Amino acid sequence: MKRIFNPKSIALIGASDEPGTVGSGLAKNILEGKDSRKIYFVNLKNEEVFGVKCFKSILEIKGRIDLVVIAVPMHIVKSIVLECAEKKVGGIVIISAGFKESGNLKEEEEIRDIVRKYKIPLIGPNCLGVLNPLVNLNASFAPLTPKKGNIAFLSQSGALLDSVIDKNELGFSKIVSYGNEADLDLSDFIDYLKNDEDTKVIAIYFEGIKDGRKFMRIASEVSKIKSIVAIKSGRSNKGKEAAATHTGSLAGDYSVYQTAMKQSGVILVDTMEELFDISLALSSLPKCENGIGIITNGGGLGVLTVDYCSEIGIEMPNLDKAIVSLLEKDKSMERVVNKSNPLDLLGDALSDRYAAGIEALLRQKNINGLIVISTPQLMTEHEKNAKIIVELRNKYPMKPIVCCFLGGQSVDLAIKYLELNGIPNYTDVKRAVKSFNSLIKR
Amino acid sequence: MEILSFEETKKILLKYKLPFCRTEIFNSKEKALIFAKQIGFPVVLKVHAQKIFHKSEVGGVKINIKNEDEFVVSWNEIEKNIQGKNIEGILVQEMISGSEVAIGMKRDSQFGPVLMFGLGGIFIEIIKDVAFRIAPIDKEEAIKMMKETKGFNILNGARGKKKVDLTKIAEMMVNISRLSLKENQIQSIDFNPVMATDKQVLITDLRIII
Repeated sequence: MKRIFNPKSIALIGASDEPGTVGSGLAKNILEGKDSRKIYFVNLKNEEVFGVKCFKSILEIKGRIDLVVIAVPMHIVKSIVLECAEKKVGGIVIISAGFKESGNLKEEEEIRDIVRKYKIPLIGPNCLGVLNPLVNLNASFAPLTPKKGNIAFLSQSGALLDSVIDKNELGFSKIVSYGNEADLDLSDFIDYLKNDEDTKVIAIYFEGIKDGRKFMRIASEVSKIKSIVAIKSGRSNKGKEAAATHTGSLAGDYSVYQTAMKQSGVILVDTMEELFDISLALSSLPKCENGIGIITNGGGLGVLTVDYCSEIGIEMPNLDKAIVSLLEKDKSMERVVNKSNPLDLLGDALSDRYAAGIEALLRQKNINGLIVISTPQLMTEHEKNAKIIVELRNKYPMKPIVCCFLGGQSVDLAIKYLELNGIPNYTDVKRAVKSFNSLIKR
Repeated sequence: MEILSFEETKKILLKYKLPFCRTEIFNSKEKALIFAKQIGFPVVLKVHAQKIFHKSEVGGVKINIKNEDEFVVSWNEIEKNIQGKNIEGILVQEMISGSEVAIGMKRDSQFGPVLMFGLGGIFIEIIKDVAFRIAPIDKEEAIKMMKETKGFNILNGARGKKKVDLTKIAEMMVNISRLSLKENQIQSIDFNPVMATDKQVLITDLRIII
């Protein structure tokens, strides 16, 4: 699969410069990597596309080809795949739709049989393509090339993938729209990512799994090394036949998936927001033991955070005497009467109070990480607070800090600074708690 | 989809060391009565048929039969209720008491055998308080499954009750796990209830679907 994810040469079959077509989206995106690899376009009718000369067939191309992207009408895909086999290409992505999902299973199986015979790995058909931002590879018709990062995203849905890419909030190491899984399936990609040094977290959107036991075998192994977070759609048991046993009726599809994911060490989440909240935390922070500290300048949000933590089983240890006396000695803490966890710094807290509080809590042995909350009061020094948090994170690198800087434009710069330094910020304490929860070793 | 015959069921239970309360199948009332006397009253009568999935709904179950007279009345009633239905026979069972537990298996098209554990009675019917695992499981995992259910403390000696033999339940679950990976013809299993006490764990009702 290495030749697919980091190709030295790529050929696009069905390249086009007609605006609004899949072929032109692909051509444009692939051309973004023109400094990183050789690019060939194939088109029967056009002499050139976006200034690049077109070949009539892949067989006309002289050099070796690592990756072929096919975006031609379904009925001629097979003949192109046969040419790819003759050319001994490194891998194929079939973007074209109209196969199994439209009832044309036979056509899909014929193609699978060809690539398996010639041992050419195939992604798709009926997919959006593959991206590897780290090497400027965008072999997809996604709206843009996402930022570089260490999250790999595998998605059965192409449209959903586009929406994630278009948001452009997170950085990715690999993105695969794996389509109909005629050859390579979800488990094969997870298996490949196991040894991919650029990937720390694997995020997955899936509707169904082709071979459940293969998935469990591979995911159980990979999840020991990397975090896997997944969301499944199609959970309702609509239209299911009546079961003959209690076990049958209770073990609905989704509960079986939940069980399988849990047994394989995969974190199954409910919403897309959660999928990326948790992926972000896991991709940027170290894991830790249970036991956290909460720091806030607003009592209400502190209590809310405590509620969520208790519900989810996150422990909040009492402060040691030594830590309390440390806080008592600090001049900035004079007005703070309750020196406890959660530590309410009060609304008028300036940065010196944040600094003293954060450092004191991080010093306590059984406080293994922090959730730092900041609400925008008139005097709150957002950017200074952000700098302090980054400094103290650097001083205690094994203790993850998750932030909850709330507010409008006034906090934007501070949040950017945090994110730039690998400290996730969530705009709701519940999101912060759920994300932190994924870091706790249980 | 049909229920496994009683003879085959007995073979499977024996092969995988799954203890069943004393039960025999009869087509003759007289022979059945001799067996009932032998195991001692009270006894239970249940119809067994390939296509009757809900025995009590068709009036095919009579419990707590205390003597010979009640036995004859119950037998005749069941025969009347299931008239015209194709049956294998009527089961005569000893009546066992204990904490009710439900153990089951469903063969999933994606993941293979899925095992289920729950507390019997209303816990499974109404609250759906159950835990699942994809087979295989070992004893340790079986105990974890039990602990996942909300009603677990009822088995574990809550409110002065005697703690039931959890190890024996776990053994039964592991045996079902083994069975489910070998007997591919079996689509799903319900052992409900399994009666558990501090001394024994016995299946008292079951449905094996092929």
